[in-house]
Amino acid sequence: MTETRILLGNEAIGRGIVEAGCHIVTSYPGTPSSEIIPAIVKFKKQLQLNTYIEWSANEKIAFDQALAASWAGKRSVVCMKQVGLNVAADSLMSSAYTGVVGGFVVVSCDDPGPHSSQTEQDSRFYAMFAKVPCYDPSTPQEAKEMVKAAFNLSEKYKIPVILRSTIRVSHAKQSVVFSPIQKIDRKADFQKDLHRWAATPRYRLDLHRELNKKLCEIQEYFEDNKWNYESVQKETKLGIITCSASFVALMDIMKQFALDIDVLKIGTPFPLPHAKVTNFINAHEKVLLIEETDTVIESQIIDKSKLLGRFTNHVPIEGELLPETICNILQKTLKELGITDIKITSDKKLNLLIKELDLPIRKPTLCPGCPERAAFFAIRKTFPKAIYTSDIGCYTLGINLNAVDTVLDMGAGITMASGFYHAYNQDNNDIPIIATMGDSTFYHSGTSSLLSAVYNNASFILVVLDNEITAMTGMQSTPGIGITADGTEGRKVPLQELIVGCGVEWVKTIDPYDVEGIIKILKEAREYTQKEKQIAVIIARHPCLIRYPEAIIKNPVDITDDCTGCQYCIKFFECPALVLNAEETKVEIDRKLCSDCGICMQVCPTGAIVSQKK
Amino acid sequence: MQTQIILAGVGGQGILFASKLFSELGLKLGLNVISSETHGMSQRGGSVIAHLKLGDFYGPLIMENSADILYSFEKNETYKTLKFLQKSGVCFANTVGKSTFDKKILSHLKEKGIIFKTFDANSEALKIGSALTTNIVLIGYSVGTGLIPFECKDIKETLESISKKKFIPINMTAFDRGFQLGCANKLNSKE
Repeated sequence: MTETRILLGNEAIGRGIVEAGCHIVTSYPGTPSSEIIPAIVKFKKQLQLNTYIEWSANEKIAFDQALAASWAGKRSVVCMKQVGLNVAADSLMSSAYTGVVGGFVVVSCDDPGPHSSQTEQDSRFYAMFAKVPCYDPSTPQEAKEMVKAAFNLSEKYKIPVILRSTIRVSHAKQSVVFSPIQKIDRKADFQKDLHRWAATPRYRLDLHRELNKKLCEIQEYFEDNKWNYESVQKETKLGIITCSASFVALMDIMKQFALDIDVLKIGTPFPLPHAKVTNFINAHEKVLLIEETDTVIESQIIDKSKLLGRFTNHVPIEGELLPETICNILQKTLKELGITDIKITSDKKLNLLIKELDLPIRKPTLCPGCPERAAFFAIRKTFPKAIYTSDIGCYTLGINLNAVDTVLDMGAGITMASGFYHAYNQDNNDIPIIATMGDSTFYHSGTSSLLSAVYNNASFILVVLDNEITAMTGMQSTPGIGITADGTEGRKVPLQELIVGCGVEWVKTIDPYDVEGIIKILKEAREYTQKEKQIAVIIARHPCLIRYPEAIIKNPVDITDDCTGCQYCIKFFECPALVLNAEETKVEIDRKLCSDCGICMQVCPTGAIVSQKK
Repeated sequence: MQTQIILAGVGGQGILFASKLFSELGLKLGLNVISSETHGMSQRGGSVIAHLKLGDFYGPLIMENSADILYSFEKNETYKTLKFLQKSGVCFANTVGKSTFDKKILSHLKEKGIIFKTFDANSEALKIGSALTTNIVLIGYSVGTGLIPFECKDIKETLESISKKKFIPINMTAFDRGFQLGCANKLNSKE
């Protein structure tokens, strides 16, 4: 009997990787890709597989690790979120030329919306840019099957293959049918070939020619491929070309409104099966193109005279293609073409009544008891007028405490601080610059940023917020704690030594729960940077309360009648457990939320928050 | 059978467990299951919405005006997700104490033919000794009202199978408590 289980899209991708007999798995966590690795770890343990799995320090490192395994003949995969592929892009571009030996798949999960990313970039463009083929699934089940197809294609044509997922595939859950695990017994056997694996520019031209030839063959292969098919064939006036999560949303809408429109589903957007697409276009008067996130298919179609899409303003050029959005696109297009007028059922009156309620927007906040909140409070209090450069992680939410001014990308907390320093220093203006960065981000791209800043005489204060975990993406381990992806022991790489190794001469470690202590150290750091014109680093270390609940030292507090209702704590400490009472005269503690960390005692200007212990 | 369910609330209210309950129920009934969960950036306290489709559907997202059932555990999240309910849909809204929903909205829903049930599942959960079972109490209640297309037996069996062993007794108690009060509501409504 075949087993069917409800799996998250990312778990289905993990299952596909396992079913494909993949030997080596690497990744750096990032929403919406983070659940792939834990799923593989689970299958590995259940099925007692010999899979090697690692959380690498960053995506480029993960990419190279997996690629080398492929060059040694193993099947390997590297998984990341879409902006992670920016970090690994250098390797991707080059590996397209060199080619691979064992099946090598790059899983990149896009985040149209964006829900949890700095951009809405479309990874399929990376496939085009690097000239590697791309699979684009619509559901968890399809993603699992496509992973296996991707391995086979990669091995057949000796080329890296991208599997592009999107948040609505990666974070969908579906009943998924399991297949048996393919057993591929391969010993690492790297065959030396200087003109390929170490090709100089002269040989790179040959490799580029070879790559182009492979692409022509793959395009041919994709023409008659089960992932590209006509899902509805009624010979209608309008045809729709679609892909990924947009395909399934469209099919549900057509069913709901009993619409008959021919649909061509594209599962391999690059290289585009041109003949198939051209035949479909020729068979229709007009063709609507609904693809997420950008214009990858639309750009590849040469004769656009019949096309309706982003280039003709029929499809929004930013934002996620939610079912409601697709419904609007359909309504507009069908009306314009005089085909039919579908009644969109959105309840305008209800939406208006809800709008009138003026509901508060629930903004994301740091958890009650989060050590990062304490650090941000102290930074803000010590330097009310500094430039605060920060980075990607939970601590981006330091914006709520007005202690984060910039968030660019991974590692930029340090590089932007250095850049601001030189811009102001040129005018002899010495302003305080406080960079904040999490431990995992520091391991990801902090070291090269820091040593470059040290080397170039930058001067600022860096606070490394060390909560001993990669918290925001779901508690993945870091080099700092030295536990590897599958729970086995690795070697710890301590932050302190790393920072000293980057050339920093002033490094101090403190628990940010000691607010007064960290304020004192921040002041010392400022004195040092002003006097020595160098970089001072503070490691603010306290474990994440969600990951390490056993580390909580309970210090429950009460608010006395001394509370004047000034709301200083709400405004500057921003703990969700501190709320204004109904009469708006006093602050109260929401006991359901409170973690009993007791930090707020150090925050209240009138001393109205007191420990229950005394 | 085709059923579209929205589950809404804030982090920590057991939305994902409730979603799992209906997913596994669908699997048990031999239905295709597809769902989607969205939650904010923070680990705690953000809004959580689960879309769940049982039967022959392609994609996980439910369109506005299409859901058959809405379970909501928090007032503002109820307001925000009401738009998903279709004309003959049913809403089960957890309230803290007495219901204080906006009268204009309630009368609009009534006009639309939507059944809007409020129920203080939170207090009932506290009575049996665990606020964490609010989600199960509300689901038990919904089954008791006879307004949802699932059999009590099937849901209970699924609940037992997905609960951690040490939580089975309290979860079953929570379900039964909700179920009884749902049945009582059903009788009252008929009178």
